[in-house]
Amino acid sequence: MPDPIKLKKYLIFIAVISWGLLLGGIILYYPGMATVPRSATAEYLVYFCKAVFVLAVFLMQRLRVNDYKGIDSMGYLWKLFFRAGILAYIAIVLNLGYKWLTKSFPDPNLTLFKTVYALNFAFFVYFISKSFYIWRRLILFQKTKPLAFEWKWFEILFFSTLSISVFHLDFLNFIFIPLLALLGVYILFLSLHIKWVAYLTAGQKWRSIVLLFAVLVSLGVYIYYFYRPSQPVGFDLFRDPFILLATFFAAIYPTFCFLVALFSLPTASVFEQKRSDLLNFQRLTQLIQQGEDLPQVYKTFFDSAVKASNSDGAWLELLNEEEAEVIEIHEITEPEIIQIRNLTQGLVIADLDYINNNLNNSRFKTLNLPYKSIYVAPLKSAQRTFGYLYLLKELEQSFDRETVNVIRTFVSQTYLTIENLRLADEALQNERYKEELKIASSVQESLIPKTFPSDSWFEISCFSQAAKEVGGDFYDFLQLSEGRIAIIIGDVSGKGISAAFHMAQMKGIFYGLMQDDLEPVKFMVKANIALTHCLERTSFITSSLYIIDYKLKGIFFARAGHCHTLYHNAMTEDTFYFNTEGLGLGIIRDKSYGKRIHNMHYDYNPGDVMVIYTDGIVEGRNKEQEEYGEERLREMLKQTYHLEADDIKYAIIHDLNEFCQDTPIHDDQTLMVIKFRNVQPNFSA
Amino acid sequence: MKITHEIREKTITIALDGELDASSSVMLDEELSKPEIMLFNKILVDCENLNYISSAGLGVFISHLQRFEDAQIKLIFFNMQEKVKNVFEILGLDLLMTIVSTYDEAMTVANE
Repeated sequence: MPDPIKLKKYLIFIAVISWGLLLGGIILYYPGMATVPRSATAEYLVYFCKAVFVLAVFLMQRLRVNDYKGIDSMGYLWKLFFRAGILAYIAIVLNLGYKWLTKSFPDPNLTLFKTVYALNFAFFVYFISKSFYIWRRLILFQKTKPLAFEWKWFEILFFSTLSISVFHLDFLNFIFIPLLALLGVYILFLSLHIKWVAYLTAGQKWRSIVLLFAVLVSLGVYIYYFYRPSQPVGFDLFRDPFILLATFFAAIYPTFCFLVALFSLPTASVFEQKRSDLLNFQRLTQLIQQGEDLPQVYKTFFDSAVKASNSDGAWLELLNEEEAEVIEIHEITEPEIIQIRNLTQGLVIADLDYINNNLNNSRFKTLNLPYKSIYVAPLKSAQRTFGYLYLLKELEQSFDRETVNVIRTFVSQTYLTIENLRLADEALQNERYKEELKIASSVQESLIPKTFPSDSWFEISCFSQAAKEVGGDFYDFLQLSEGRIAIIIGDVSGKGISAAFHMAQMKGIFYGLMQDDLEPVKFMVKANIALTHCLERTSFITSSLYIIDYKLKGIFFARAGHCHTLYHNAMTEDTFYFNTEGLGLGIIRDKSYGKRIHNMHYDYNPGDVMVIYTDGIVEGRNKEQEEYGEERLREMLKQTYHLEADDIKYAIIHDLNEFCQDTPIHDDQTLMVIKFRNVQPNFSA
Repeated sequence: MKITHEIREKTITIALDGELDASSSVMLDEELSKPEIMLFNKILVDCENLNYISSAGLGVFISHLQRFEDAQIKLIFFNMQEKVKNVFEILGLDLLMTIVSTYDEAMTVANE
């Protein structure tokens, strides 16, 4: 395909040249002069030039019209009228000008006349070619495959008639007439595709009627001009099957459109209404994407409903805790609203539509209001009614089934929109919460010690996993002095955010109190008092505090309701739990707590292992809802005590996961393994 | 979790059936927070079908403990499964609350 811009230039060039030759041919030919013999070759040349000119102009228009952007049918009509139709009036001016001119300057050779004639012919060809392709655009509006196919063949057949004029065959014979008649019928058939008219609004229909009429008048001017008898030109350029068919088409299609537009005028308002209803539905659904808020949705709904029903008075009210709040009003006053509402209150049953198309017969008449019809539509979700739409009209029998159906659709669409808006809001909110949780999670992550105290006399290994983003388990270390270290583990009752807060508090209490190197029971008593002020009544904390003293080779500890400590004694090769008493923190909140907790002491040996953990470990469950249990944990240590602390931890966690299979953990898990090294360094006191 | 109760004169027996976790403990808290519960002088908790108690469940009993004590209402647990009892014991609640094995025993303790 050659470049269309270049092609257009060539076509213009060809058209101009061929028109010039055509003009020359006509001027040279003079039927009254016997001296110039009528040459058949010259005649053929004239007809050939004409055919070339017509073809060039048609092809040019084909490219031109294809370039027109948009699908606005009105725009096409304007272009057709202003670019081509106007030429008809220029043609009239030319003719009148010629007549006026020849009064004073005779035109013996008819040269001027022939020039005007050729110019008019060019105008006419331009007009019908533009018509042809603009009508094609309109015919192919919302085209289907068969229609596109039909048009393609029509164009091929139509252009083939040009060959008749090239050879200037006499087409008025029994071969061509039926063929041309068939093509005429084809044109009639194609001209029935006038869908575009249906999409016009009433106003556009009026304008298109005027424009179509103007186009037809332009065409009439040309036909009148070319059909004038006694053309002293010698050539009848109009006598050509191609031109005739194109003229027929240029005349018949706008005629059809004109008639259809004219007769569809009375029903135009109905189509327009339906179209605006549809558009309003679209607007309602699009409100969400545009990020509009609730009042905007109600406003759009109200305006659409009023427009769709063409109401004379209307209002929209929302029920806020049984109190009706009027949020939208159309052509009605507040006192009138109250009057009408009082009257209808008894009639409107919670969630059913109320329609009364003859208010003359009801008590309504006593209000002396102009309204004769009322429609009350409740706005409702599956659970409740959250508002009412009141529509009033001054004529009786106004709310017919069609109107009511449209309003109902609006109502349900509005409800959907509101619901979607709420969901979108919620999703946004959830996203925000998730972000907050992520922050909480990373803050808590920073509260868990990353570096473990390492020394030559013991090794330590920790594992911790929260059931949710944040958890209530905690552990920490504090080097009290050389060879003396405090280890704390704890579990806040409950899970999630509240537990995480208390966990952070407990960490602060641990650091605050242990600066004074308290003995474990004293620490617990003081922590219990501290927590009294910041723990809600239903919460408590279990905790164990261990102070390991290398100089004394002993562990001092206290258990405040926390899981028992598992211990392996390397000397006796015994694995056991320290079964000690001790009440959780925050359970009793007075001084008597001191009686409920006890200091414990144990001398450790090299190679001993201490396992401390939270209940998430021993209460880990499998699919059968069995718990991991203290016994299984003890068995694990029995088999692994000889390993290093890290490996003991891995072994236990691996065993726990195997036991629980894929059951999601339902409580935070923390496990700490402390192993006293087999070879203790010589510590000089 | 199913919570049922049986009233005999000034004694209310609350039977817990199922798992007392974070969500069901709210139900229990509502039950124990009712004003009419203060009209009794004995609250017996039947734990025969209590399969699991979470820290939230324990928290509910702990939060009401002081209130019942002040009002001189006896709170007695009976028929407790071993693993549930173990949870009470680890936390040290067995020394704070009365846990007995049978209903008759509970009645005897209550009438002391």
